[in-house]
Amino acid sequence: MTLADRPALPFARPNLLDLAPLYEVLRREAPITPVTTPAGDPAWLATRYAEVRELLGDKRFGRSHPEPERASRISTAAVQDGPTGDYASEATDHARMRRLLTPAFSAKRMRRLSEHVQELVDTYVDAMVADHDRAPDGVVDLHAHLAFPLPVAVICQLLGVPETDGEHFRALSDRMATFSGEDAQVAREEFGRYMAGLAAAKRAEPGEDVISDLVRAQAEDESFGYPEMVRLCVGLLFAGHETTVNRIGLGTLFLLSNPEQWQALVADPEGRVDAVIEEIMRLGAPGDLGLLRYAHSDVEIGGVRIERGDAVILSVNSVNSVNSANRDADVFADAEAFDPDRAERGHVGFGHGPHFCIGASLARTELRAVFATLARRLPDLRPAVGLDELDVRTDHITGGVRSLPVRW
Amino acid sequence: MTIEVDQDACVGSGQCVLTAPDVFDQRDEDAIVELLDAAPAAGQWPAVRNAAAGCPAAAIRVGA
Repeated sequence: MTLADRPALPFARPNLLDLAPLYEVLRREAPITPVTTPAGDPAWLATRYAEVRELLGDKRFGRSHPEPERASRISTAAVQDGPTGDYASEATDHARMRRLLTPAFSAKRMRRLSEHVQELVDTYVDAMVADHDRAPDGVVDLHAHLAFPLPVAVICQLLGVPETDGEHFRALSDRMATFSGEDAQVAREEFGRYMAGLAAAKRAEPGEDVISDLVRAQAEDESFGYPEMVRLCVGLLFAGHETTVNRIGLGTLFLLSNPEQWQALVADPEGRVDAVIEEIMRLGAPGDLGLLRYAHSDVEIGGVRIERGDAVILSVNSVNSVNSANRDADVFADAEAFDPDRAERGHVGFGHGPHFCIGASLARTELRAVFATLARRLPDLRPAVGLDELDVRTDHITGGVRSLPVRW
Repeated sequence: MTIEVDQDACVGSGQCVLTAPDVFDQRDEDAIVELLDAAPAAGQWPAVRNAAAGCPAAAIRVGA
């Protein structure tokens, strides 16, 4: 197949909640298929649950590339755009990263954080209600009032980033994730300098936070390079808010687009919220691409032969994903339906295997507080604009909306 | 029911702690799984099976 014959990513989707119909065809007929990336390079696209799950756990794939200068590029943003990290030390770097970070984001710690998260949610909802009472048309922006500030406040606190820097790193995140080529790279460098400045401040005056922990660990470990630490901090701050902001928006849209599910949650917020969150994680697909891996050796899978160095895009949740694997009808009955009562478990919405989302428990804690509170306090919540009128960030790797007008 | 956990395979995701908090815990220092109750009462079995099925590292094995 020549490059010109391959389907070109991204595939146009009808709206923010549904996927391009081509995904269903690919899952059935070509679960791992050659595509052209938005950057114009060749890659494989894996769309079916079985292969995606297997690939996520397969140690013959990584985020680094044996010859980075020859690697396929994915997009013109500066996130998930190409290989990251050092090929020779990826496994040890990754093991160290997990060892350093996993305890700070453990389920137990996140459970202890939940009371504080609840207080934050109540404060934001209070302000949204006050704004609603003042608004002549009764319309307020749930994105600006809740979906955005909550994850930013929580990740700032965990990492030890001043919340007053929110506007600054938010703007940098936005530019980094926009398909703009040079400016995205410039923004990534600026983000790196911002983070290096913060790290220097923590070195002088350590706090009880994740960045202070990383600064300390880096100083004590020769093999832990300073640039690697800064890259990790940038990744944590970026992924720590961008993903959950989008997920709150998508979850609200799924619930309000399925009024019977919203009413069921309103009737029993505490009893139903966990199942609702898992269904939001299964179905939500904020972006147009997927999780990026490079083959570290030749691999036969799903009827194709992937060669060492080939790029593979896994259609599963990440900051930018299409998430086709979680809509696989071989695994989930009536897979396109938003149904929190479904019997199947085991969605790969937080990934699978060694790279399983380190922030999964944090995300669940935030989503739980958000949706239980909305259902309890704003039972008449409904969208103020249609799905096709939403301001969607289509030029942006993580997708999502710029605003989410609601009323009640 | 018998339960075995593989602490070398565990990636510290904490999924089991969320699913069956009376049976599984995470160590404070590295978030690796710890078994609180190796022979839980029958009422816990469905949660334990879900935890095993949902473990992203396949680090929980459940026997008869």
